Amino acid sequence: MPVGDEPARDGPPPDAVTSAAGGPQGDLPEAAVRRLEADSFSSGLSVPDFAACLDLGLQPVALVQGFCVMQWGWYGPGSGATMRGMSPYIGGQQTPGAYSETYRCPHGYISAEHRSWGQNLEQPWVQDAWAQGYGAAYDRMLEEAGTLGAHGVIGVADRVSNVSDTGTTEFHFLGTAVTVEGGPPPAGGTPWSTYLAGQRLTKSIEAGFMPVAVVAALASVRMWAYCMTEYYMEGGGMAGWGNRTGPALVDQVSKAHMASRQLARKHVRQKLAGDELHGATIGVVTRKLSSGDEVINCTLRGNRVRRFKDFDPVELPTPTVRLS
Amino acid sequence: MSANGAGAGTDLGGHGSAPIRDVRAEMLRGAQSLATPAPPSRARGITSDLSVDEALLLHTAGWEPLDLVCGVAVVSVPLGIWNWGGAIAMASDAHNAAVDQAARVLRGECSKVHGHGVVGVRVEVSVHTHHIDVELVGTAVRPMSHKNGAAGAGAAGAGADGAPDLPFVSDLSARDFTLLLRAGWMPVGLAFGACFVYSPRRTAGTAIRQKSQNVELTNYTEAMYSARESAMEKMQRSALDVGGEGVVEVKVTEGPVSFARHAIGFTAWGTAVKLVAEAHCFVQPQMVLPLDDAVVTFEAESLRSAAQRRG
Repeated sequence: MPVGDEPARDGPPPDAVTSAAGGPQGDLPEAAVRRLEADSFSSGLSVPDFAACLDLGLQPVALVQGFCVMQWGWYGPGSGATMRGMSPYIGGQQTPGAYSETYRCPHGYISAEHRSWGQNLEQPWVQDAWAQGYGAAYDRMLEEAGTLGAHGVIGVADRVSNVSDTGTTEFHFLGTAVTVEGGPPPAGGTPWSTYLAGQRLTKSIEAGFMPVAVVAALASVRMWAYCMTEYYMEGGGMAGWGNRTGPALVDQVSKAHMASRQLARKHVRQKLAGDELHGATIGVVTRKLSSGDEVINCTLRGNRVRRFKDFDPVELPTPTVRLS
Repeated sequence: MSANGAGAGTDLGGHGSAPIRDVRAEMLRGAQSLATPAPPSRARGITSDLSVDEALLLHTAGWEPLDLVCGVAVVSVPLGIWNWGGAIAMASDAHNAAVDQAARVLRGECSKVHGHGVVGVRVEVSVHTHHIDVELVGTAVRPMSHKNGAAGAGAAGAGADGAPDLPFVSDLSARDFTLLLRAGWMPVGLAFGACFVYSPRRTAGTAIRQKSQNVELTNYTEAMYSARESAMEKMQRSALDVGGEGVVEVKVTEGPVSFARHAIGFTAWGTAVKLVAEAHCFVQPQMVLPLDDAVVTFEAESLRSAAQRRG
């Protein structure tokens, strides 16, 4: 994280990740160093954003990037036996501190195939893997910027995509490293960063919000349905057979979805250290691994900003009608 | 300011001139704030999905974001209901129940952070054969005058922290919310109505007779009208239930249900609003004539006269 007193990011520090060559990630590739030492700047900013950047006293230094490709541990079909918590009938320990809810069958023993219990379970190992890849790519981008003496990185764009058929995920960060004219370096020397650029960044600064970092977190909840959830999700109620129960709230699924979103918010909030998160975007991907076995992944990302002056309202905008 | 907090803390009618700021100086000030490590804080960080523009506009109107909140509900649809004649009441009920439950959860999250309402709510509904999923995501907000929880405390319908017992839910953007306040109105809730109707099959004889004709399929048209009336009526009733006088920004979706032949669905939703000022305030927009005319490219050849082109 860019400022010195940041809490530790989820997962191991980026320098614990080893590169394909087997060495630590402390050094930039030689070609990158040569390119960055050239006496010219590069920028990913549009022309209007570039102009606004200069107006704000920010000097573009270079287009900086960070990559990380992570292999994901196996947690597909069949992995439940090793990752699921113990049956509530046997008793057992869940991952300490992680979200977990169990649901018991109200029918008693029916058959060995009957879903006698179900569970919603947070998957910290998935979250850690994502945080490790995301954090490594992010830190490598900041490392490039820091090497150039940049104070911050603006117009950050990130992309998380699956490399097809290889079971791996690519994390890619890109942004424009800048220096603040006459400004001091950030505490600890790690540049600040923001998804914003141009007029939006200017307005944020005018309103008294200084970007600190882009933050993101993934929350992963796996849901094993118990008999009632399975019953409802597969058309339970049997309309037309004289035994209508009508629509019913499917509690387990609803709670699993809510938990994934609340956990993502909680993880992000842990990175804020009292600062604010603006412009958050939330994305949810649900994967059905087998009947009654789903993974809900929720990603939340946004701009961590710090208020550096008291609220200073901008001029009340004038409503306009366009004559065209 | 009204009892509901409209226009809290700011004169929304005026166009006061703000001082011209030196943005470079502000930037330097911001950079200096990061030059020293921030003291450890246990404050609960604010989260918001508002854009910078929306956050500033909200601040200008005297409101502030509190937290990103969400509500999700999955409601089951019993087996075999999609292929029965007339109104498919169970599907309609499941849809409306899912929205109600999601809104209830959303309001619960808003109340936890002492919010007065949720703006910019994104509504996502997916209808499946056996279940209907509804997701609502928005930002909880409150008037800045209620920051310390004192203002409004003890008022009718308000808790000890001044927040209303029933926070409003609105799918209006922060821009529209601000404009609504300026006009003297206040959102009071999300109005929602859905209806599914089974379109009766034509008889074999009718289908054969009409096979080669250009003919209106009245069974579908009537089913669509039936679904529309029922959904719109439900939406308006839900607006009245939350104390609204009307509904703005109504969105509708309609069409056949992909997995059920002959089933037609109609959904309508918007933000229920009520007038909190003595009378509606006209916001008096200023007319502008943009100079960036769209006609910026032309054929150079067209500058020559037709005679010149021929010659």
